[in-house]
Amino acid sequence: MTKSFQAIVVGAGPAGSSAALTMARAGLDVALVERGSFPGEKNMFGGVLHRLPALEEVFPDFWDRAPLERHIIKKGVTFMTGDSSFNTTIEAGNFDTPPYNGYTVFRPRFDRWLAEEAVNAGATLITRASVDTVIQEDGKVCGVTVLDRKGELRAPLVIAADGVLSFTALKAGLRRPTFDPGQMAVGVKALIDMPHDVINDRFGLVREQGFANEFVGCTEGVRGGGFLYTNYDSLSVGLVFHLASLKESGKTPYDLFNAFMEQPQVAKMVRGGKLLEYSAHLIPEGGYDMIPELCGNGIMVAGDAAALCNATGLNLEGINLASHSGVLAGRAAVEAHQNGDFSRKGLARYRELLDESYVMKDLKTYRRAPKMLHNNRIYQEYPEVVCSVMEYLYRIDGAPKENISKLFLKTAREKVGLQNLVADGFSAWRAL
Amino acid sequence: MNIDEIFDYTSFTIDREPHIVLDAQVCVGCDARGCTNACPARCYTWSEEDQKMTFVHDGCLECGTCYVVCHKKAFTRWRYPRGGFGVAYRMT
Repeated sequence: MTKSFQAIVVGAGPAGSSAALTMARAGLDVALVERGSFPGEKNMFGGVLHRLPALEEVFPDFWDRAPLERHIIKKGVTFMTGDSSFNTTIEAGNFDTPPYNGYTVFRPRFDRWLAEEAVNAGATLITRASVDTVIQEDGKVCGVTVLDRKGELRAPLVIAADGVLSFTALKAGLRRPTFDPGQMAVGVKALIDMPHDVINDRFGLVREQGFANEFVGCTEGVRGGGFLYTNYDSLSVGLVFHLASLKESGKTPYDLFNAFMEQPQVAKMVRGGKLLEYSAHLIPEGGYDMIPELCGNGIMVAGDAAALCNATGLNLEGINLASHSGVLAGRAAVEAHQNGDFSRKGLARYRELLDESYVMKDLKTYRRAPKMLHNNRIYQEYPEVVCSVMEYLYRIDGAPKENISKLFLKTAREKVGLQNLVADGFSAWRAL
Repeated sequence: MNIDEIFDYTSFTIDREPHIVLDAQVCVGCDARGCTNACPARCYTWSEEDQKMTFVHDGCLECGTCYVVCHKKAFTRWRYPRGGFGVAYRMT
């Protein structure tokens, strides 16, 4: 049986549901197709949900209704070696005042809720539906088929929001057939059960305040880093690795994760916690240069499928960019219906809207960041320099002190080399 | 906390039919076998003795690492599981 819609969205994650919600609220008949038995079943992230300016316009009471864990008031970076760590944290009064800067969330809850909101707006959610083929006629995308199900879903417009590997974009000819491991990262994460009050006491929080911390130097030289985020009564702890570097290292994500959890300072943070769930996911970290074709005849690509992810080292943005792109694709779809033009040219409005938005502007600003972060020294030697200089400075044992800047240069020369230090400084300055 | 059992804490609805199929002959001629160490779910095992790659789809987290690291195009099939099957995250 063939079912017809005005638009089909493949994937009910933040991009897909934001697109479906936008189109449904504008009165379009939308199918939202999800391979999980519920939206969010296949999704995880290590991170923080930041403000969603485009979705908030469509959905003004979003933050009052979304299922959230904690709002982040404290952000930290830890430079780590096998047994030492140097922490910097910022806790800002403004972060504890609404509108909050970011929240921790559980994806199986959050994504499910957002998809339900799209359904409330009129979208048709089809779960347990893994898209198999992209139907193309006369060089135009006009629907999809679902694995193991008879019949077709037809629409003049398809939005591919099917995540990082986007087979929908591949089948429509919009992304290259192979990925560069240098542009991908894999994240592994454990969810750790911990009582609300213990988290508050341990991390210096009250009420539903949250803490988000990133770690460098905890990956045994593999390019990557660690994270620890507080949920209402659990911790999300994990590591992210650049795939090319992980592959080359011969090390495994779970052994590295094990070592991270046993690092003495991390061990104290997670002590007494109970393991609840282990998960893994790819992250498109190639930045601006990784973005595929965003529009084809009858198709647009949004979210991770479009590699809209900003990883600068300090901030890691994904869901916000996904949702923003979904809303903009939804808007472009509504305009395309008004004009009756679903060609690549007719959908180019989506690219225009994205280019004008913070999504593309930020990706362009930090275009050099992925390359800058492809520097092994950041993940081992620099954390060692920081920790050993600080340890030396604080050690008072009767030995006369050296001048601080001389000491820093000397340690950096030993561990990194002066030429590298200058080159890395210049590269970071240019990238950020 | 016993991290050794980390894999036991994830839920799956296992399909009889594997969503990933490997031409293990291709793996014999591979010089990297990045899948064996990079896969976060330990799905790939290379036996030096038998010169054989074994892949088990049961614990696959559907992350796509193998799809990206395999430079030998060893997959005769790489798709996500049929609707309703595969990994099922509860909260994470």
